[in-house]
Amino acid sequence: MENQSCVKIINEWDIVAARQLGRNVAKDLGFGTVDQARITTAISELARNIYLYAGQGQVCIEKIYDGGKAGLQILAADSGPGISDLRQVMEDGYSTSGGLGAGLPGVKRLMDEFVIDSEPGKGTDIKATKWLR
Amino acid sequence: MYKGGSSMNISIDVKENEKLVEVKVSGEIDAYTAPKLRENLFPLAEKEGVQMVVNLSDVSYMDSTGLGVFVGVFKNVRANNGEFKIIGLSDRLKRLFEITGLADIIDINTQIEGGVQ
Amino acid sequence: MDFREIIADKYRDILVNYLKDQSEQSLYSSQKFSRKSIEHMISPEEIISIHKQLIVDLFPDMQPEIAHSFDILLEVMVGYGFALREHQNLKHIQQELRSEMEIAANVQKTLLGTSIPNIDCLDIGAISVPAKHMNGDYHHFVQDENNSVSIAIADVIGKGLPAALCMSMIKYAMDSLPENRMNPKDVLENLNRVVEQNVDLTMFITMFYGIYDTEKHVFSYASAGHEPCLFYNAESAEFTELPAKGLLLGIEKKTKYRQYERTVDVGDMIILMSDGVTECRTEDGFIERESLLELIKKFIHLDAQDIVTSVYKELEKMQDLQLRDDFTLIIFKRKV
Repeated sequence: MENQSCVKIINEWDIVAARQLGRNVAKDLGFGTVDQARITTAISELARNIYLYAGQGQVCIEKIYDGGKAGLQILAADSGPGISDLRQVMEDGYSTSGGLGAGLPGVKRLMDEFVIDSEPGKGTDIKATKWLR
Repeated sequence: MYKGGSSMNISIDVKENEKLVEVKVSGEIDAYTAPKLRENLFPLAEKEGVQMVVNLSDVSYMDSTGLGVFVGVFKNVRANNGEFKIIGLSDRLKRLFEITGLADIIDINTQIEGGVQ
Repeated sequence: MDFREIIADKYRDILVNYLKDQSEQSLYSSQKFSRKSIEHMISPEEIISIHKQLIVDLFPDMQPEIAHSFDILLEVMVGYGFALREHQNLKHIQQELRSEMEIAANVQKTLLGTSIPNIDCLDIGAISVPAKHMNGDYHHFVQDENNSVSIAIADVIGKGLPAALCMSMIKYAMDSLPENRMNPKDVLENLNRVVEQNVDLTMFITMFYGIYDTEKHVFSYASAGHEPCLFYNAESAEFTELPAKGLLLGIEKKTKYRQYERTVDVGDMIILMSDGVTECRTEDGFIERESLLELIKKFIHLDAQDIVTSVYKELEKMQDLQLRDDFTLIIFKRKV
């Protein structure tokens, strides 16, 4: 896909690279500064989760179009330990315990759409989208 | 000022010498500190033939939640053919063990060795 | 106009005024503004963004570095906004839990409901107040066809929801006892078997069970580790503890209980309580049994119900209106 670019997350600097990529795409699409900051924060959280708990994975940023509207989609994928209780990690307050999946409810709130798919032992895929208003 | 309970003041000192386990508890045992006590004592009580002595001479307050922990430890120790003793009870705490009938099944009357009577 | 534009306009007015006069009035308006914007879920980063835009518009010639500095502030505030939204959501969840607890408390009230028997020779008063939403204290009156009145009072270790769940078990165990009148010691032995099989290692229940024979005026009772009850002798105007020994419910399967009897004369009182009554704590320490006796003496000329209510109100005051444990106090007073 020509609209998609990815950053492999192996060390902490890759989090910055993923943020930079996200910010460039967000700016390019015409997101305001507040939404740019929210999108990069969401990317940061997702990339940090990969870096801290999954070991490695990647974050891809994609411009998407649906009818007349444009949006930015973050795809975060890893082949880490996975999450067995998705319902629990999506609950507020769980984030305070640290560990894999910390901060996901916050990411969900920063974005407009959020889909998570995880299998213990295989890894986690997260797709989060923000639409341009 | 007293603020509705959360004291969190408890310290648990454990000395293990083969089957003999000596535990010294200091502070207040209430609903907030009882879980910590339980976490510390339950694994010790599981040891086969354990001889556990709990010294409560520095416990200033204990409510029924604390009593519950000792009931649980006692049941565990007994199930593992061990012995369980509590020493150093203040008059107030002794009263709690007497009212509840626990004084008849848990040994609370051994004097502290070398201590002041 | 879009809501956010209204907010931005309002902020502009406040800022422009303040830049002009640096008055307390403008600062006060900004405080009101922040309350309003929190109410409408405007996050901190949005306010910073509005601020930056305004400053850039108002001072087109300012050093660009100053404008850039707001980007850092904005980025930092995204984190605070993140925490704010989580906080708001948790608050919402807490409200849900609270209303669920209130419903559960009502279910419990209905389940454990008991009414004070109306008997010519006895004046009975009872009060039971939970420390939290749910009550871990239980009391139940039964009046049988021979006009005997039985009273059960029990206290589950701990408080709140776990204690209340356990209390429901006692309620059903009591209901399933044989219809015909049983001796207090038999009641306790029966319940002990049920409790022993159904509770966690660290859980236990204290219980006092008594029957007042309204013809012979004899009170028979037995105790399973319960807070000792008091007896008031009207003739000597003295309080004594009712002797009673017995192990807590739920400790040993085959516990035997001893039964005691006490003859009651006109004016005498039997005072039953949960340990919340004597475990009350104030800022200076415990409320001693003596002070409880003082309180009962103070109100002794009143009807039984007024005594228990007045004692509770005084204890509540002494504890700064914070109940540490569930509280139950019951008084039987022989009238004639």
